[in-house]
Amino acid sequence: MFRRLIIIWLVVIPVTLFAQKEQQLIHVRFENLPATAVCDSLSRLSGIRVFCNPDWLGVRKVTIIADSISVADAFAKVIEDTGLTISNWQGNLVILPGVGLPAGLPKYTTKVPAADTSAPDNNAVTESEEKYLTGRRADVMQTLRIGKSGGSPTGRAKVQGRIFDEETGEPIPGATVFIAETKTGSVSDLNGFFAITLKPGNYNASFEYLGYAKKKYLLDVMSDGSFTVRLQKAVIQMKEVVVYGDRQVNLKTKDPGLDKIAMKAIKELPMMMGERDILKISGLMPGIVTAGEGSAGLNVRGGGSDQNAFYINKIPIYNTSHLFGFFPAFNSDIIRDFSIYKGYIPAQFGGRLSSVFNIVSRQGNRKRFMIHGGLSPVAGNLVIEGPLKKDTCSVLLSARSTYSDWILGRVKDPDIRNSSASFNDFSAAINYDLHKSQLSLFAYHSNDSFRFSELNEYKYSNNGMSLGFSHSYSNMLRGEFSLVASQYSFSTIDKQMASSAYSHAYDLGHYETRADFTHRLGEKHSIEYGAGFVLYQLARGTVSPYGEQSLRNIVELGNEQGSEASAYLSDSYELNTWLTITAGLRYAVYAPLGPQTVYTYFDNTPSDIRYIEDTLHFAKNKPVIWYHEPDIRAAVNLTTDANGSVKIAFNQMHQNLFMLSPTVTIAPNTQWKLADYHITPSRSNQVSVGVFRNLPVSGLEASAEIYYKNIQGFPEFRDGADFLNQPLVESSVLQGKQNSWGLEFFLKRSLHKLDGWISYTYSRSKVKVDGGEAWNRINNGEIYPANYDIPHVLNIVLNYHFTRRITFSSVVVYQSGKPVTYPVSVYYVNGLPVLDYSSRNAYRIPDYFRTDCSLTFEGNLKKKKLLHNSLVLSLYNAFGRDNAYSVYFTTENGKIKSYQYSVIGVPILTATWQFKLGNYASE
Amino acid sequence: MLFLPLVLLSACIKSYEPVIRPADKGKYVVSGDVTDAGGQQQVNVSVTSALDDPGFIPVSGCIVVISDDNGHEFLMADAGNGNYYCTIEPQYLKPGVSFKVSVHTPDGTDIVSDYDKMPACPPIDSVYYFREDVPTNNADIFEKGIQFFVNLNGADSDSRYYRWEAVETWEYHARYPIEWWYDGVIHHVYPPDSTRMVCWTTSLVKNIYTLSTKNLSHNSYKKFPLHFVDNKTTKLAYGYSLLVNQYAMSEQAYNYWEQLKANSIKLDNLYEKQPVSIRGNLHNITDPSLAVMGNFSAVAVKSRRFFIRKVANLELDFSDYCDPMRLERGLAELSPIDYPAYLMDAINGYSNVQLSPYCVDCLSLGGTNVKPDFWPN
Repeated sequence: MFRRLIIIWLVVIPVTLFAQKEQQLIHVRFENLPATAVCDSLSRLSGIRVFCNPDWLGVRKVTIIADSISVADAFAKVIEDTGLTISNWQGNLVILPGVGLPAGLPKYTTKVPAADTSAPDNNAVTESEEKYLTGRRADVMQTLRIGKSGGSPTGRAKVQGRIFDEETGEPIPGATVFIAETKTGSVSDLNGFFAITLKPGNYNASFEYLGYAKKKYLLDVMSDGSFTVRLQKAVIQMKEVVVYGDRQVNLKTKDPGLDKIAMKAIKELPMMMGERDILKISGLMPGIVTAGEGSAGLNVRGGGSDQNAFYINKIPIYNTSHLFGFFPAFNSDIIRDFSIYKGYIPAQFGGRLSSVFNIVSRQGNRKRFMIHGGLSPVAGNLVIEGPLKKDTCSVLLSARSTYSDWILGRVKDPDIRNSSASFNDFSAAINYDLHKSQLSLFAYHSNDSFRFSELNEYKYSNNGMSLGFSHSYSNMLRGEFSLVASQYSFSTIDKQMASSAYSHAYDLGHYETRADFTHRLGEKHSIEYGAGFVLYQLARGTVSPYGEQSLRNIVELGNEQGSEASAYLSDSYELNTWLTITAGLRYAVYAPLGPQTVYTYFDNTPSDIRYIEDTLHFAKNKPVIWYHEPDIRAAVNLTTDANGSVKIAFNQMHQNLFMLSPTVTIAPNTQWKLADYHITPSRSNQVSVGVFRNLPVSGLEASAEIYYKNIQGFPEFRDGADFLNQPLVESSVLQGKQNSWGLEFFLKRSLHKLDGWISYTYSRSKVKVDGGEAWNRINNGEIYPANYDIPHVLNIVLNYHFTRRITFSSVVVYQSGKPVTYPVSVYYVNGLPVLDYSSRNAYRIPDYFRTDCSLTFEGNLKKKKLLHNSLVLSLYNAFGRDNAYSVYFTTENGKIKSYQYSVIGVPILTATWQFKLGNYASE
Repeated sequence: MLFLPLVLLSACIKSYEPVIRPADKGKYVVSGDVTDAGGQQQVNVSVTSALDDPGFIPVSGCIVVISDDNGHEFLMADAGNGNYYCTIEPQYLKPGVSFKVSVHTPDGTDIVSDYDKMPACPPIDSVYYFREDVPTNNADIFEKGIQFFVNLNGADSDSRYYRWEAVETWEYHARYPIEWWYDGVIHHVYPPDSTRMVCWTTSLVKNIYTLSTKNLSHNSYKKFPLHFVDNKTTKLAYGYSLLVNQYAMSEQAYNYWEQLKANSIKLDNLYEKQPVSIRGNLHNITDPSLAVMGNFSAVAVKSRRFFIRKVANLELDFSDYCDPMRLERGLAELSPIDYPAYLMDAINGYSNVQLSPYCVDCLSLGGTNVKPDFWPN
């Protein structure tokens, strides 16, 4: 008995010591040094002896810059991608080619009858024990056994996996799975599920997601089965892995033109008045341009701001910003995943010509209650989340509100002092996880109210709710069913001129139901299919005179209804290790519905009351006209080598809902309008080719993409169109062609004290409206630049990490000025003045250039603590440049004066305090 | 329009001078036409003015020639202020003849228009009105008045492009004759002067009425709406005469008018309409890269006059602007700025009631007291 104890003591102590040594954090700075030298140095720093044949390391150069990195991680980096492994031998490290030394006796789990319990049981092993058992030793991978031995008669095993956040228990959507042997991969869906088909055997599988530590397992696949993986948030010393995760996304699974933005990247960037804006940050990516301060729009690849779809948990958001674009309409703290599709758009999406912005919120912590929030000079926000039933049901509540009026009240100008601006938004998510089935409910509300002295009042709000049910029918088939309702409304009162004052209210409803299935058919073959139905209800409102003195006529813009039924099928096939082809077809049938009164016009005449031929009346819910819209989508992904890939995509889209926004106004009351009897849906075709390349040694990630997109049926306001007084939209709108093309460059550096990215885009967007007659031409039928033709866009984002806790960030934005139509002179015909305008969009407003910087101080980085807080000082428009948002003209005493209108013409310094329960990494 | 920026910082709006390209500044403007009515033809030559200093900038000293495609040339006389006139005899103004104008400016620039073919204009089929109540912003109140319409019947014509002009003339009255007036001393006119009690005003309705029948099955149109006359003015009180001019023109000239119509400036709000850059048929042949504004066209015109003495079923509700005012302190209240001050007649002399000029002198509201020759008795 006594002897046995001693033996245990003898074995345990050195290993514990070793484990401590191996886990100790060290500060290292190796730049491009020989691997052997780095090993020596690490050995000296840590006191661990290292055995290695220097020939195996060869002339390999290593770069590791870290303020605190564990010795194990540092060694892992030294041998990364060399095929070598590190083994622990009696407290020393041995670097060997191949699988390394066996760590001891194989771990035999007793035969697991069920399919899915190979995941480590959290209760049985504490975190430190687990670390001790599996260690950070690169060679010792945990084995996940899947299925029963001899259970796969077909020679194929269908494996379903699910990825969770270790800490919060939430499923992780969008995480990537990569099987090294087959060089195949998969991406987890909204509920963390993914499916792969493998021959029985052993595989090295890696699982990663932005902001999480990469995890590797040995999969022992025996037959059909399922398993779960828990990823840990990348705690600070593992930050580099985040970058690798990103890189893998970029290379292995990135669709052409898909951008993913890590929430962590957002946290460090300078903020406008302390509010993080995920949309503004997406405007720093190549091919995406922010329409300007004070404007909510984004222009993606030369498309209009109405050509982008925004979804948050499947709820379409029709106005994505607060205060005309200064703040995003949703709290960035609740966002889990943010994807932008601008090249290849998966067949499940439709309805917009240029892009899809898909936001998935977090589901809430399933382990414990959390509170986090932030305070800035204009707004405060709070997020509460936690389990209603541990590991099964979670809730997440977020609220945000402004208190900006106190700033306005301090301004001397009485017009401003008497103004008010406020916004708020709320969201709530409840998720219930029944293992095979998941139920989710998400509700969202945002509200804006703005009054500018006695001149203008403007209110708008978004409301939305989505109910989702998803179910795994088998390891290979998952289905998801959703009910979605979304509503956007605004009301405006314009009192600038008593004689033309008006009020107008507008309301748009979107009701949708859909079913989506992902089906893994084989090892290299998967399909997605589904169907959906959308009902649009628009109450376009009435422009009414406001006040006694208003001479304006009542203009009833009327109500509209439309329905869209769609079905899609998308097939993805890995022809071989370097070639994957995805092809999809989406078929939508759209019909505007009655009640509606439609005028028909004589053939070949303008759609004008002078030429009305007949009046058609459509009863309630009767289709006015049918439009059939097949969309073809295809993508080819060629892996050229371990660090590079080429992606080619063809993408076809349709759009039935337009935003009527004139070129010259900055009016916020631009309306959505459905395609109708006269205005047909517009259609786009896009071809894009992208080359993606990683340069692992320098930590650089580079891509170049080229695209060409043409749009038919692009609606534009005709010359002389009256924006407010014309209820017959067909009289004001002509449809033509829009062509856009561009070149996008992106260079990102990670892994360094100084990191960030540079993106440069050259793009053009041109419109031609020429129906062959004077009345159906715009700009005399000649090609003219689109309202958002912005040739040059350069964005530079730089972060300098002084220490892990202090980061300096700066953003530089340059854009060519937007095209504009200027009045250029006045002349007189028969004594009447005529304003001579330039041809359409022949001039440009001045170029836009802005520099922001910020300094972030994180609280201490202890892993176990109650409250983490951070302070962000940000300076917006550091050089105080007077960037023109627009140039406009007014008549004063019979003369026309021109003014430049800049939204922010001075530097704005803000301090924001953020707090949350838990450590730095917890969300 | 001026939303948040003003809130954040009032200094965000500043004067901005856009750099206007030289080619967009000081363009020549040539406008005019050849009409088949009467003999005198007119062409104007000017240059465009800057936005911040608008004005008519005439160009005098040009050589302006109208020529037709039969080789005839008509030299125009410089009448100053950018106006050029000539008379073309009716035998040259036949349908089917094309005309163009050429201008040689003092700085040596040559401007030429395209040829424009003189069409034939069908006679005006009919002009008529309907009594209408137009809804107003207040659901209970209607604007009462009459809506004019014109019918087109071009069955015998190949013209397809039309424009109408409405010129209205109405009679109006001052309430009293001039009998007593004061300018420091009292004047008595006897017998009272009633020559300024009845006046007529003529005015062009400032709307552009255009129609193309090109794609209509018939070259005719029923009930094309012209203007609306309400009951709030004196227009319909003592007689109303409407002259409708119907112009036939080429497709090009029609398109020019369509653009002018779309461009029409709303001075209080430049931002409610999509701007139009208007292009006519004139070319700078000395420097073709420079655009020339305006248009030159050959038009045929037919006219028709329509007279209304009284509109049935329409109550008028107008003011004659005459509001006699009692002088509490007698003539001492009048000062030289009131002179001449008209006084109301009493039984034996004047009374201490002042009459505004509108009460006794219809010319004070513009117009003329000479009865137009087309006015019925």
